[in-house]
Amino acid sequence: MTNKKIVYHPISPEIEEMARHHGNKPEAALELLKDVQTHHSALTIDSVTDAARALKLPPHQLYGMATFYSMLSLEERRKVLRVCDGPVCWLKRASETREAIEKTACAQNNDKVTIERTSCLGLCDRAPAVLVEDEQAGPIDHNEAWRLCEGWRGTPTDYSEVRNGETRVMTALIGKIDPDSIEDALAHGVYDGLRSAMQKEPVAVLSEVETSGLQGRGGAGFPVGRKWRFVASEKRTPRYIVCNADESEPLIFKDRVLIDTNPHQLVEGMIIAGYACGASEAWVYIRGEYEYQARRLENAIEQAKVKNLLGENILGSTFSFDIHVHRGAGAYICGEETALLESLEGKRGEPRLRPPYPPASGFRGQPTAVNNVESFCAVPHIIKNGAEWWRNLTNDPTPGTKVYMVLGHVKKPGLFEAPFGLTLREIIEDFGGGMLPGSHFNFALCGGAAGTIAPPALMDSHIDYSSGPLKGVTRDIKAMEKRWTQVISMGAGSFLICDQTVSPVNFLRELMHFFAAESCGKCTPCRVGTWRSLEILNRMTSGKGQLGDTDELKSLAALMQDSSFCGLGQSVAIPMKSALTHFGAEFAKVEKGQ
Amino acid sequence: MTVNIKINGQAIQAEAGKTVLQVAKEHDVHIPTLCYHKDLSPTGNCRMCVVEVKGGRFLQAACVTPVWEGMEIETDSAKVVNDRKMTLELMLANHPVDCMTCDVAGECELQDLAYEYQAKIPAWGAKGTRYPVDSDPNPFIRVDMNKCILCRRCVLACEEIQGRQVWGVAKRGFNEQIVAGAGTTMLEARCESCGQCVAYCPTGALSNKMNYGRARAHQVKKVTTTCSYCGVGCQFDLLVKNNKIIGVQSNPNAPVNGMALCVKGRYAYDYVHHPDRVLKPRVRRYLLEDGKSKIVNGDGWDWQEVEWEVALDIVAKKFAETRSAFGADSMGFLTSAKCLNEENYLMNKLARQVIGTNNIDHCARL
Repeated sequence: MTNKKIVYHPISPEIEEMARHHGNKPEAALELLKDVQTHHSALTIDSVTDAARALKLPPHQLYGMATFYSMLSLEERRKVLRVCDGPVCWLKRASETREAIEKTACAQNNDKVTIERTSCLGLCDRAPAVLVEDEQAGPIDHNEAWRLCEGWRGTPTDYSEVRNGETRVMTALIGKIDPDSIEDALAHGVYDGLRSAMQKEPVAVLSEVETSGLQGRGGAGFPVGRKWRFVASEKRTPRYIVCNADESEPLIFKDRVLIDTNPHQLVEGMIIAGYACGASEAWVYIRGEYEYQARRLENAIEQAKVKNLLGENILGSTFSFDIHVHRGAGAYICGEETALLESLEGKRGEPRLRPPYPPASGFRGQPTAVNNVESFCAVPHIIKNGAEWWRNLTNDPTPGTKVYMVLGHVKKPGLFEAPFGLTLREIIEDFGGGMLPGSHFNFALCGGAAGTIAPPALMDSHIDYSSGPLKGVTRDIKAMEKRWTQVISMGAGSFLICDQTVSPVNFLRELMHFFAAESCGKCTPCRVGTWRSLEILNRMTSGKGQLGDTDELKSLAALMQDSSFCGLGQSVAIPMKSALTHFGAEFAKVEKGQ
Repeated sequence: MTVNIKINGQAIQAEAGKTVLQVAKEHDVHIPTLCYHKDLSPTGNCRMCVVEVKGGRFLQAACVTPVWEGMEIETDSAKVVNDRKMTLELMLANHPVDCMTCDVAGECELQDLAYEYQAKIPAWGAKGTRYPVDSDPNPFIRVDMNKCILCRRCVLACEEIQGRQVWGVAKRGFNEQIVAGAGTTMLEARCESCGQCVAYCPTGALSNKMNYGRARAHQVKKVTTTCSYCGVGCQFDLLVKNNKIIGVQSNPNAPVNGMALCVKGRYAYDYVHHPDRVLKPRVRRYLLEDGKSKIVNGDGWDWQEVEWEVALDIVAKKFAETRSAFGADSMGFLTSAKCLNEENYLMNKLARQVIGTNNIDHCARL
């Protein structure tokens, strides 16, 4: 028998006040936890319990969240310096940066800094990157780390210069407008698309987007028009629009640049989506690390409200629409649309069962269109210039342009916009400025962290949304195996180019390190499979490879791909399988401990 | 509405909206499950029930996949069996696999599946070293999270059946674990020790403290009976070993309560064989002697064990005296939920017809 007496305290008035500030809504759980953490420098069991009681939620739910999101902590922290531990920053020797930061005066002397790892900061073009509280910093080379203490934050990449061969649509106004001024945006034709959309019936707008063949830019390439049609044809209201700006995948930073350089374009696209789908409210789920971009977006939304482009009776019509910005708290899995919706509802970001898909039952169980930032950004241009124009931008089966990212050992890494249908060779030679002096192409990680690892033999193969390894394939094992040797994934459009100094085994280890840290833990194959794969790769990369390691990796990849609950686990297999297919010899070498 | 599907080549007409697992069960096709339980919302976490659906890119979890027209399902293809076996092995990697001394061996769903699939216990993994054994001070429930496979049935049982929301999921990825409340003890997280979580746990992660180590599943006789505590009429199985009740187990076929029981029904059975239990009537000694009340020193009321006849005679005599001296309404009767309906009825007759008062009540009304 237990003799422990359980005493119930009243809720701390301070936390009760914070909860009231959020309307005591269960959906505000994440915001409330963040507020509590900001005020107390850490969450405690008591404060988490109090927060839960204030929102009338079970304590386990908030504790589950507090231990799930990487930006929340039950350990006391001071000023938090998050050093990126992602594969791109690894390539740029972020570990040396971290060591240097640990030795800096501000970290050593006054003990006011907590240094943490983070899976990825979305600052891949500024690698090695650091997040100082909510200030983005990079590139921070190890010999410049001391300057962080003096407020130096590195030089942001400038994308105003157009590269040869680019077709700029969504990125056209980079550097031409002040992103914080709606006047500037209006003068450059932003919101013209909205005006012309509002002159049409919502059905006509929907048809235009459908005809354009615009495909979702988060990586899966699902037709945007079809998704909107599903939402619009649902009889239940209210319907919601959700923008997925939880850009947490290593290699990808386009959404950050799009919001940073022209937030009004995104706002405009979302309003058009709302108009077409008959939605009344929208949320932008932006990752917590993008605090600056979130503020910029909030500013854009406020300005649009003043101009009657947003809010009640937009432009004198009967259509009313509102956009909210919701900040995440550090979880890659929240980029999966149903996990994002769970997180938006104030829960742990774990994926939901599908079906029902979000267009039928999404946010708050209502019809919801979830689209990527880039997808929304393309919409105003399609409405303004017509679906035909969009289709004519390229001869490729995937219509329109795409914001590409090229990183790694090329002369001009960064972001550019071009029509679909490029090859790796074109991406490296024409847009990336060629390989660095002394470097020759070894392999490229294509799409994003969960993309294919392509060898030199695939440099001329054509990349678009029909080319991924999991596209259009049934369970014909032979066709599937053949496909692995032939395809490159488009994903979210990023390409990390690695030269001869990078071993595919080490590289895969870095990727697995990311996935193991970011697996949500819901299903067995991904929870244990990523961990075990990392364990094997750790062994292989430290010269302790064992016979049978490659086979075990192969079977783990097959298991995760076939049996995982959501897209995260299913696509971990893509880099694994392609690396093992194309670089089997390298793996066989380390397996023998060579 | 029905849809035409095929399971392992067998053409089946199935009701639309049902899951693959439900239809398979109706047609005696075995699909293994772990996180699924018919009383709880299906979650699709454990991935044991994966099946192959023709044309699908991935395997589908049968417990959450609805049937559709023209669906062709393979429940035992080489791929499916291989994946299930591997998934099991991933679970066993982080499990102590101490079935030799485990209390639930013999009725452990994980053990059954490991046997069915002849899973190989991996040499790697956490191997039951992650959490303290018997980690919660709850007087009835024994917690050993090393054996947990994170199926989350306890979380759902607590939330959906008992409505207490004690258990939850914390951390993520490989470090994910089941916690009570905000990482507290169960009782601090408002647990009322109903033991629903134990009843639904497919492994030995949650077990009963009172009979821990007292008997293996095959050593007990299960006697289905009705709970004697209150008027709800819950049924359960008494676990009997050597003619002694050593525990209570939910009987999934109980018509009133299903698997659900309260703390009294599930854990307050030890009065049965308790040495303090009163088995024969007792009266105070003075009633046998001169009938005059007297103060007795020391502890005890100077109880005297007597035969039923003697005791009842004394009660009847006292009833008659009181009734004639003070009237029928000076008396009141309170009956017990531990009595049968018939006994309660007889008490009612006694009060109203024999004594002549309406002063009768029942503890279940309190």
